[in-house]
Amino acid sequence: MIQEVVWGVSIVLMGTLAAVFAWVAIGANVALADYRPVIASAYRLRTWLFGLAVIVLIAANYDTLGKLPYVSSMSASSSATATLPVEAVAEQWSWNIKPDAFRVGQTVEFHVTSTDVNHGFALYDPDMRIVAQTQAMPGYINVLRYTFNEPGVYRVLCLEYCGVGHHEMTAEIKVAAH
Amino acid sequence: MTVEAVQSRSGISPRAAVLAYIVVSGLVLLLMMLLGLTMRLAQAQWIDIQPDFFYMIMTMHGAGMVGIAGLSGAAVMWYFVRRHVPVSTAVFVANLVFFLIGAALILGSGFIGGFAAAWTFLFPLPAHSGELWSVNAAACYMVGLLFIGVGFLLLHLDIARGILVVYGGLGAALGVKQAFGLAPEDEGPPPAVTASTMVLIVNILGILLGAAVLVVSLVNLYVPSFTFNALLAKNMIYFFGHVFINATIYMAVIAVYEILPVFTHRKWKTNRAFYFAWVLSTVMVLTVYPHHLLMDFAMPTWALVAGQLISWLSGLPVLLVTAFGALTNVYRSGIKWTVASGLVFVGVAGWAIGVIPAIADGTIEVNSFMHNTQWVPGHFHTYLLLGMVAMFFGFMTYIVPKTTGALLPFGFWLYVGGGSIFVLSFLAAGSVSVPRRYAVHLPEWLPYDRVASVGATLAVLGALIMVLNFVIGLPSATREEADA
Repeated sequence: MIQEVVWGVSIVLMGTLAAVFAWVAIGANVALADYRPVIASAYRLRTWLFGLAVIVLIAANYDTLGKLPYVSSMSASSSATATLPVEAVAEQWSWNIKPDAFRVGQTVEFHVTSTDVNHGFALYDPDMRIVAQTQAMPGYINVLRYTFNEPGVYRVLCLEYCGVGHHEMTAEIKVAAH
Repeated sequence: MTVEAVQSRSGISPRAAVLAYIVVSGLVLLLMMLLGLTMRLAQAQWIDIQPDFFYMIMTMHGAGMVGIAGLSGAAVMWYFVRRHVPVSTAVFVANLVFFLIGAALILGSGFIGGFAAAWTFLFPLPAHSGELWSVNAAACYMVGLLFIGVGFLLLHLDIARGILVVYGGLGAALGVKQAFGLAPEDEGPPPAVTASTMVLIVNILGILLGAAVLVVSLVNLYVPSFTFNALLAKNMIYFFGHVFINATIYMAVIAVYEILPVFTHRKWKTNRAFYFAWVLSTVMVLTVYPHHLLMDFAMPTWALVAGQLISWLSGLPVLLVTAFGALTNVYRSGIKWTVASGLVFVGVAGWAIGVIPAIADGTIEVNSFMHNTQWVPGHFHTYLLLGMVAMFFGFMTYIVPKTTGALLPFGFWLYVGGGSIFVLSFLAAGSVSVPRRYAVHLPEWLPYDRVASVGATLAVLGALIMVLNFVIGLPSATREEADA
């Protein structure tokens, strides 16, 4: 799952940065007689790091910007898949989701909106991990497309703070194996 | 060039005013940290509080922390920039007075009025309390924020006036010519001036838009038929919020530029890369705010794509100029570490390290899975607790002429260690989809909350020791001759 990959990569990068800061801090007490060659090589290193950063930036953005969750951005071929429209209306503090039972392999399009304040439509899989989300806004319908690949009981949690009932605003979606 | 400080009509000396800012900041920070700790203990189910109380202190904690980050950052900025430009002590004191009035109104709106719409007051939630708070309580909160905004606006305008007197233009004060190689690097403005210029540009814009949406919200509270587009309101709120909180870090980093060199005996290099980074940051802080709206599918796609791209680009100046600059400044410098120098160094590290989860979440594909999970507070507490506040604590500890013994380093390690455990718990919880802003947690989430509560407790104890050190050292600090 993306979250786990992101967590792993983040820990490695954060840990590396922390180690660099610690290493510099620990070795700092011993002064260097002539600082200038160090500065020169530091700037050379920075140019390399900048180049590396630009490569990573371009690669990561090229890859991820090809996978936008916005239906309007989706290619014609994926739009041709048969999708089932689903109404998902948020209000303080409950969900109205029609229909709320599907089969594995079905692609649904949640039409998400709100009757009052901002809410957040977050679809959690049977392992309680987010698999898709969008905002539920008054005056707007946000279209969230999702294909159910696993059977089980999914949950919808509200993910935009909406008042005292925010944490109780959940709904169930049942996905049958066939 | 000699600079005459404008004499304060109130008779308060500039140094006393700065000390007052620090005392208020230290005490409010501690109070807000206690509110935060209460929230985590409640989520951990180690204490029992009602959801409406949880959401009220959540609102107070958010507003209080954002406000005090601004106040403490302003103390750092003003203390150093007045070495270079004429500023008014009266306006500086007025900002503090406005802040205290605003803070009182905000605390009253919550603790007396029960206002609990979160500090972000996302339209139209303040008007839909579900019978929990009155329209007047919501209005009290908004007027409180407006007071704080007006104070800061006055302060930034006064600093702008001083900068224009000395530099003739904001571009010159930002070092634009140096950034583009059109003027010699060594004729560029000092770091404190460049940073203050960037901050006043972004904050004046941010505060004006924040004030506009607050006024809209106020009218809507009393005249419900006066409606406003909720998406436009959201854009304005997140523009204001993003700019204001980022500006606090850009104010506090002045402490790094000014304090670290005192201990390393190496000047901070204001070269072309430095000025270019600040010019770039000015533009990027103003344009990256759509990264708060990546799950608002109603937004134009180009704006959200821009939000992702600018999020990624924003990491470059922080990592390759500020962090790199701090590391090369310290490297084999012969520094004898003190708590003050350690804190500003940690502050840069915290900011740099916080870039990683920030950029991750600013990537749309990732945001789909992590938006509004605890990854979000994980990221911004890294920036703030281990970044901005560490820089401020470094400034606070530097200002006190004598430290009060061995307890202070112990406090430093409690804060850094506890703070690290605390932010890592948030990030770990976010990676398993624990939502943010939930008063009641599921059983499977409790271990994360409990580890976080331990970390938070240690961090609060560390902060308490450092603030106490300052307060105890205050009498001798006020007796010192004004050195700025």
